[in-house]
Amino acid sequence: MTRADLISLLPEMILCGAGIVILLLDAIAPRLRRSFTLLSVLSVAAAAWGAFEAWRGVPGPSFLTWGGLLETSGPTYALSLVILLATGLCLLASQGYLRREGILAGEYHALLLWCAAGLLLMLRGTELLTIFLSLELFSFCLYSLAAFHRRIAIASEAAIKYFLMGAFVSSFVLYGIALLYGATASTRLAEIGPALAQGIPVGASLGMLLLVAGFAFKMSVVPFHAWSPDTYQGAPTPFVAFLSVAPKVASALVLYRLLDAVVRGGAAETIEKWTVVIAALAVLSMLVGNLLALAQRDIKRMLAYSGIAHMGYLLLALVVIDPNRDRGSLMPVIVYLLAYVLMNAGAFTVVAMLYGRPGEQHLISDLAGQGYRYPLLSACLAICMLSLGGIPPTVGFFGKYLVFLNAVGDGLVGLAVLGVLASLVGVFYYLRVVYYLYMKAEERQPEGLLLDVWGRTAAVVAALGTLALGIWPWELVSWLLEATAR
Amino acid sequence: METILGLLLANTLTRLVFFPTIACLPLLFFPRGEDRAAKGVKVYTLIVSLIELAFALQLLFTNLGADGSFPLVDEGPYTWIQGYGIRYHLAMDGISMPLAMLGIFLVPIVLLGSWKGIERNWPAFGASMLLLTTGVLGTLLAWDLFLFYIFWEVMLVPMYLIIGIWGGERRIYAAVKFFLFTMAGSLLMLVGILWMAWTFQRLNGGVWSFAYSDMLRLDFPVHQQVWLFAAFALTFAIKVPMFPVHTWLPDAHVEAPTGGSVILAGILLKLGTYGFLRFALPLFPKATEVAQPLLVWLALIGIIYGALVAWVQDDMKKLVAYSSIAHLGFVMLGLLAIDQVAWEGSLLQMVNHGLSTGALFLLVGMLYDRRHTKKFSEFGGLAKVVPLFAFFLVFSSLASVGLPALNGFVGEFLILSGVYRSLGWPAVVATFGVVLAAIYLLKMIQLTIWGPLDNDANRELSDLNLREIAALVPLCVFMLWIGVAPETFLKPSREALARTLAEFNAGVERPEAAQATLRPITETGR
Repeated sequence: MTRADLISLLPEMILCGAGIVILLLDAIAPRLRRSFTLLSVLSVAAAAWGAFEAWRGVPGPSFLTWGGLLETSGPTYALSLVILLATGLCLLASQGYLRREGILAGEYHALLLWCAAGLLLMLRGTELLTIFLSLELFSFCLYSLAAFHRRIAIASEAAIKYFLMGAFVSSFVLYGIALLYGATASTRLAEIGPALAQGIPVGASLGMLLLVAGFAFKMSVVPFHAWSPDTYQGAPTPFVAFLSVAPKVASALVLYRLLDAVVRGGAAETIEKWTVVIAALAVLSMLVGNLLALAQRDIKRMLAYSGIAHMGYLLLALVVIDPNRDRGSLMPVIVYLLAYVLMNAGAFTVVAMLYGRPGEQHLISDLAGQGYRYPLLSACLAICMLSLGGIPPTVGFFGKYLVFLNAVGDGLVGLAVLGVLASLVGVFYYLRVVYYLYMKAEERQPEGLLLDVWGRTAAVVAALGTLALGIWPWELVSWLLEATAR
Repeated sequence: METILGLLLANTLTRLVFFPTIACLPLLFFPRGEDRAAKGVKVYTLIVSLIELAFALQLLFTNLGADGSFPLVDEGPYTWIQGYGIRYHLAMDGISMPLAMLGIFLVPIVLLGSWKGIERNWPAFGASMLLLTTGVLGTLLAWDLFLFYIFWEVMLVPMYLIIGIWGGERRIYAAVKFFLFTMAGSLLMLVGILWMAWTFQRLNGGVWSFAYSDMLRLDFPVHQQVWLFAAFALTFAIKVPMFPVHTWLPDAHVEAPTGGSVILAGILLKLGTYGFLRFALPLFPKATEVAQPLLVWLALIGIIYGALVAWVQDDMKKLVAYSSIAHLGFVMLGLLAIDQVAWEGSLLQMVNHGLSTGALFLLVGMLYDRRHTKKFSEFGGLAKVVPLFAFFLVFSSLASVGLPALNGFVGEFLILSGVYRSLGWPAVVATFGVVLAAIYLLKMIQLTIWGPLDNDANRELSDLNLREIAALVPLCVFMLWIGVAPETFLKPSREALARTLAEFNAGVERPEAAQATLRPITETGR
């Protein structure tokens, strides 16, 4: 264990430490509960600083620590910041919700911070067991947080569904790792790749499939998506702002690493086979996500299906991983994930504040006329909806544009056209929210809402970020290009 | 490189495009109530639109040549998204100038026309109109394909809000239909743009560019060109609208509030024809040749079918809406003739249609403000009660029909001459369209203002007040001016049209490329 090793773990250590501190404070000084949001947001900021420190001193584009188990590189730094952004937004949005529901407790913040730590670890893992351990770490936090609102039945139901399916999937992942190990005598991705160069034995193929299935589950990609609408519907809404984005970010990178390992080592037919697999997952997600979202009347379920569709668009960027293009193909993925975090977390933040009864359905029609009652929050929600629909000048459009640009460049014009048509379907249900907000008369007055300044801040930050990055994307993109260049 | 502030304060295209958006920000803080606060909002929005008009006139007169021609006013390119060669590049030439002026000119008129018609939430209405102005101007002035696409999409949301919030009974259906139809086309155009950009990048040694002048240098083999042309043409055909993708128009026009209909017919539809003239035709000349017969047929069907359907309408607004399809069929026919005279006529007719149909929609709206109906059966004999209204209605209808000495005649005549010269028989069919236009417009006049005054509800109608006259008079002045002195309005565009035509013909005559090639930059390259 060297000094470099410790520095590379700085963000995770800060997050874990902060979680422990908050938990202790919760036990010793429960009257401090209302300041936990501030504490946790500060620790997220500190973790961001830690990530910067860890990356700053890195010699070369990719730096391995802990004996090659963890990698610190431009993409992991960028995505760490994205995850920390999601965590920050979720924490800001949670304060009002937790107070309103009477469940303000330190465990929430602690679990969230540990979850972020687990996600950051998984981002950086280059070795399958490390990835698995961090997967378990953050998954357990996610299951607990999904059930956090003990008093409503639907939350427990959501959590049980997620937990059972997640536990199954974890065992699949472990079995997949075992199969890969059996075929290649290593669990390090860097070694697995070359070992599969001569062609992949059946066992390794199966192992890869199981791994892809596992991470596709976490990304809620069809056909491993069935848990997400129910879980999003039941879990506490500000937490869903985190759940719907952060695990997807980390899983997307892991998926990229897996595919990269195979492609780097593999023969042409292998690459083709995996291209077909990912393309199939992408097409299914785009179609199923958009079509089923059309039918939803509950806004959280609609956003869940929209998330499935968005992961379909994201997978388009992962269909062709050209070993010679290296990290260049990661740039659209990172931009898309950042865009997705901003717009989705923004949407859920506003939904958390505008719906007063978490035990009941969050019907879209309940938003009727709210655009005039709560103009600021509704404007933020409308901007996030338009961004999700891919309408310029938002960052959602820019992300989609990058993905489609790369798809066309890779020769996947047919997939790009399909993606574009699927987006069109999506526009309809995103517009429906705008319609209810501004074009329908108010039907019922919402009761028991708690609109606090933290939540408003989160919503405004998300909406402004969506617009600003949509109008001036270049600063972000050029920095990312620099950071991800090899 | 100029700073953003520097660009916004000087007499620039940037100021013209973005001033409405910046000026609409205070509107978001105005109270939404009625009475005096609302009056303040209306006055503020009107003043903003008039300032914008002043900026436009300033730009026009500083750049208008001594001989009446309008040069290429170039601004930029400024780096925006460098890595992808996307630049912020605006330019106005003789083709976009008349349309930009028309758009800016219509905004105060729309606001005057909507003064009483829009009853609630004026700040949002004013903001939507101003944002729409920015979108329209940006689309007309964009010289970079990506920028063009962005502004094309930006136009959708304010128009959706205008139709959806202040529209008629079936407004949501109409607004969503409008949005989805337009977006379907433009998304396919996006894929086309991306394909072109990749081809350019590969042929240009890995350097990206989305600039219009660079895209013009690309030569695609015909089989590829046809697909790209189809993607672009579909978008623009939906916007024009051409048969058979016109079905969104009657709903959108009828359900939109008066101001929305005027701006939709007045300028938004022209963006489709502008798109053809600026992008679809010059970028893909060989594919245009291939598609020309089909498009000519569709334009003719639009003229005749639009006119026939307008004839049988029992609702005034629907009649005017279908007349738009017919008129723009004329414009499309002129564009497809690939002839200088026809093109001049088409461009002029774009402006003419904006003026006359805009006036007609305003008049329908004024009648609706008073009687809350648009059905012919409710009217008749109004000339006795509202003679001023009758005068303006007859004037605008005759301009729309194409009576000599009014603007419509000049446009139609030029189009028909050019079409006859280059295409032949379509001109004969199109002339029937003129006859049909006379039939349905005179029918409208007959049923509303001539005849017996048998509906008692019409006896107490108040004639046009000062505000309504102020909205109509500028339109009528131009209808007359363009009709008697058209050369003033044709001269500015002549050079730009001639240049585009020359480029198009050069593109047609060039030997077909076996694969996509990039021609070198010529001295006259823009």
